[in-house]
Amino acid sequence: MDATEIPLKEPAVSVAAGDTEQVERALIDASTRVPVLMFYASAIAWLLIGTVLAGFVSFKLHAPDMFSNISFLTWGRVRPAHMNVMVYGWASMAGMGTAIWMMARLCRTTLRHPLLLVAGAWFWNIGVLLGVGGILAGDSTGYQWLEFPPYAAIVLFVAYVLIISWAVLMFRFRRGEQIYITQWYLLGAFLWFPWLYAAAQLMLFVVPVQGVLQSAVGWWYANNLLFLWFGAIGLGTAYYMIPKVIGRPVYSYHLATIGFWTYALFSSWTGMQRLVDGPFPAWMITASIAATILTIIPVATVGLNHHMTMQGYFPVMRYSPTLRFTVFGAMSYTAFSLVGVLISLRSVARYVNFTQASIAYSHMGLYAFFTMVMFGSMYYIVPRLVEREWRYATLIKLHFWASAYGIGLMTLMLLAGGYVQGGSMNDASLPFLESTQSVLPYLRGRSLSGLLLAASHFVFAFHFGLMLLGLGRTSTVPTFLNPVEAEGSEGHI
Amino acid sequence: MNEQTPDRSLAARQGTDYGETSDVQDVHAAIQREKREPRVGLEPLSIWLIAVYGLAVFWGGIYLGRYWGNFSGDGLDPLGGPPPTKKAGAVGPGGGGEQAELSPVERGKKVFLANCAVCHQANGQGSASQSYPPLAGSEFTTGGSRRPAMIVLKGLQGPVTVKGQKFGSAVMQPWETLGEQKVADVLTYERSEWGNNASPVTKEQIAALRKELASHPASFTEPDIMAVPADAELSGGAAAPQKPGEAAKPGANPPPPAPPKT
Amino acid sequence: MKGLVSLFIGLFGTFAFSWLGLTLIPNFQIGHLDPQADEEGTDIYPMPQSGMAERGRRVYVANGCFYCHSEQLRPDYIASDLDRKRDLDPHPKWGERRSAPRDYIFARPALLGKTRMGPDLANIGKAAPAEEESSAPATSGSPAASPAQAPSASLAPSAAAASPTPSASASPVAETEPGEPRPYSAAWHHRHLYSPRDVNRDSDMPAYRFLYEKRPVAGEHFADALQLTGSDAPAPGWEIVPSYDANCLVAYLMSLDQSHPLKEVKSGAPAPAAGGSPTASPAAAKGTK
Repeated sequence: MDATEIPLKEPAVSVAAGDTEQVERALIDASTRVPVLMFYASAIAWLLIGTVLAGFVSFKLHAPDMFSNISFLTWGRVRPAHMNVMVYGWASMAGMGTAIWMMARLCRTTLRHPLLLVAGAWFWNIGVLLGVGGILAGDSTGYQWLEFPPYAAIVLFVAYVLIISWAVLMFRFRRGEQIYITQWYLLGAFLWFPWLYAAAQLMLFVVPVQGVLQSAVGWWYANNLLFLWFGAIGLGTAYYMIPKVIGRPVYSYHLATIGFWTYALFSSWTGMQRLVDGPFPAWMITASIAATILTIIPVATVGLNHHMTMQGYFPVMRYSPTLRFTVFGAMSYTAFSLVGVLISLRSVARYVNFTQASIAYSHMGLYAFFTMVMFGSMYYIVPRLVEREWRYATLIKLHFWASAYGIGLMTLMLLAGGYVQGGSMNDASLPFLESTQSVLPYLRGRSLSGLLLAASHFVFAFHFGLMLLGLGRTSTVPTFLNPVEAEGSEGHI
Repeated sequence: MNEQTPDRSLAARQGTDYGETSDVQDVHAAIQREKREPRVGLEPLSIWLIAVYGLAVFWGGIYLGRYWGNFSGDGLDPLGGPPPTKKAGAVGPGGGGEQAELSPVERGKKVFLANCAVCHQANGQGSASQSYPPLAGSEFTTGGSRRPAMIVLKGLQGPVTVKGQKFGSAVMQPWETLGEQKVADVLTYERSEWGNNASPVTKEQIAALRKELASHPASFTEPDIMAVPADAELSGGAAAPQKPGEAAKPGANPPPPAPPKT
Repeated sequence: MKGLVSLFIGLFGTFAFSWLGLTLIPNFQIGHLDPQADEEGTDIYPMPQSGMAERGRRVYVANGCFYCHSEQLRPDYIASDLDRKRDLDPHPKWGERRSAPRDYIFARPALLGKTRMGPDLANIGKAAPAEEESSAPATSGSPAASPAQAPSASLAPSAAAASPTPSASASPVAETEPGEPRPYSAAWHHRHLYSPRDVNRDSDMPAYRFLYEKRPVAGEHFADALQLTGSDAPAPGWEIVPSYDANCLVAYLMSLDQSHPLKEVKSGAPAPAAGGSPTASPAAAKGTK
């Protein structure tokens, strides 16, 4: 329990492994190089596109006449395009890239036929491109996070099957008896996603359910995508990166088990709370709210497990970009879940329902938690793939602080704006326009935070481009965020 | 790219840069300095964590118990209020008591909306694109009562020209099964609504026509209908306009102000 | 976690549980609702929409209207949705009763909405002035600007350009000048879609001008041409005409109406809920004004 006596200097057990293991890692990294870099490069390209679209979305909310003569730049099309680019283009591709690399390392097996994964990535890109083009052309289906028209959804699904089969194959050829925690989460994500996606497509487009149930299925899909796909990959990555970077075992197997199974059980039941007070049987909504409350269990468990693992090693965050991003993301997961519990309660939801608060919630989950963890994993994995170290510590610092302040400001603005908006919306004596007017200052603040995020993305993309071009540093020492003071800390990355 | 010859010398060379030393053997520094793959410790659960679990389960359980709305599909109210009691109120006015008080036009409107409006539309304009002819201002509807009664009772198929426009493909089914009263009501409604202004139709008239047509097997076609004079009225009971309501406006049949359909 | 088999069973089991609980059981409970009817099988609600309104729903979805406009009303003990009046015309409130699953059985997709950057539209069709209403849900989605308005439309550019209108758009209850479309009528919707801030100065809705065509006047003015004033008015000899999609979109908006009472929910409407002739909606009462 008490880990405080563990010194900052690393324990002797975790020094670099023997020769055979090093050769094995080198082989694994070589086999994953092309597909993972392909996934990362696509993801970052989508991130930039999504950022530009987000700029349109954010600014058009308080300057509605911007580009309003152009049908494919109207707000109602750019917004779903932005969301879907971020969800399927950026977050999913980054997550799959990280997941493939971690899976290969943990299964201790090289990636067989990596070019097929590359083909999968191409298909996925084509699917996202078709989908976004379809949305901008006016083919949106009208279900949140499922706006991609059916022709794009089919391409995505084919791509996914290509990608997933290689991940499962890798698991089949694993070496060693242990199945590490990260593998639980990744296997879960890889199995849940196709089921979720197919079930939602089936119940919405092939054999459509009646009326309001379409909305129920839609939100069930969206929330499960957030938790069981992005959440699972994000938590799995945190479970890998934190002990890996500091070289210390995860605190407790028991906590990990409880955290994983309660997460799978409770978070999959959430979603209907987003439809609170709507035309649904009350028990559906209540079941999701209760499940959201119960997610306190996995949140507390996983949070404690990460915290106790980090105990005594927090100073390492001064040097290691990976650890800094990952721990920020893991902490945001706790904050995201607690805000989720808060705004789902009926007594709170009556104020914040139909306001910007739900957008704050989505951004906390997808950005403050998932995206930050992905950035962290990229800072770890990319140097191993391109065999160069990150070129500029300053750019990494700039990236981190712009992202962290940007998403923090955005969350605060949207939550506060949502509260104000909800307050005036619920006062029937005020004209309705009062509620939209009252939130405008906060939306302008949100646009400002978006500029910060955009800056961080372009900095990161530039840095990543340098790495891809082989312009990183060739050095035995990683790129630290700050000069190393303590002896022996060069291992802390 | 030299995977086979990892450099063993781990001399810290922070600051050495790409280009300064193009020593390819350094590229594996990341793998060499890397820690072991993650492992798991076996610390036990804290008692405080178990307490947090208990609180979360308790809170969630309370919430579920309080707001579960009886787990019923009708229970929209989270506190499980009694929504079905409203039903009693709805049955009363909808029941037989009020039925008698409705005028033929009102009853006819209900029948029309339930059965006819799908094709002819609630405004009686029909749908030119789907070949449903209009009833508003139609010479069939507003002329003598015999023609529309024949059509409603037995149906109509084949091409028909209404208000100078030709309608072809749609088939109207026989509505005999509605019963004489409802057929009479719906005819009365159609002939007095949307600017139409023609005489009401009674149950007795329909009964008489129905007997007359009993042997006629299939739907009428336009020639069958045109064979009947345009102003032919139904026989039987026409002289006794029962409870006319607002429909029986005395007076001739002025040509209805047919809204131009474009 | 020792066995791989138990891991996989667990992964499948947890998700199957959620699938069953949140989609399949609700589908069993409320997935096969029928329209409500009275004892005689008449007075049916809801009814399927006309083809134009259905196409309008696609336009509504394609342009993402549902991201800012909800189509659901919460019950009165939760929120003030039912007390809320529309900004331009106080008479029909947002609605008389909460929304229920049965209201949406023909809606595909059901556009409940998640954020309100604009007012709720569940009853926007009912908010139309009475003379428009009868013709609106039917086939002619451009409700022909109701014969009374057609002649004034042809005079519009010259006559209306003379009278500047900012005062009218600023006042909360628009006292409509002659030649101005009444709030929530079809002609008003067209004008609002074309130029939202002309109708309401503080509106933050984007304009949807790409749904409208600008074309030279060929002989007579087209009856559906928009009556625009001020800087939005087209040059003389030109007119702004709604495209077919715009007409469908307005037909869809005019078809939105949840005013019919439902047995399963308490209706706040005192008068029309009695069940007499519900299709003659309460808006008829204010038809004279």
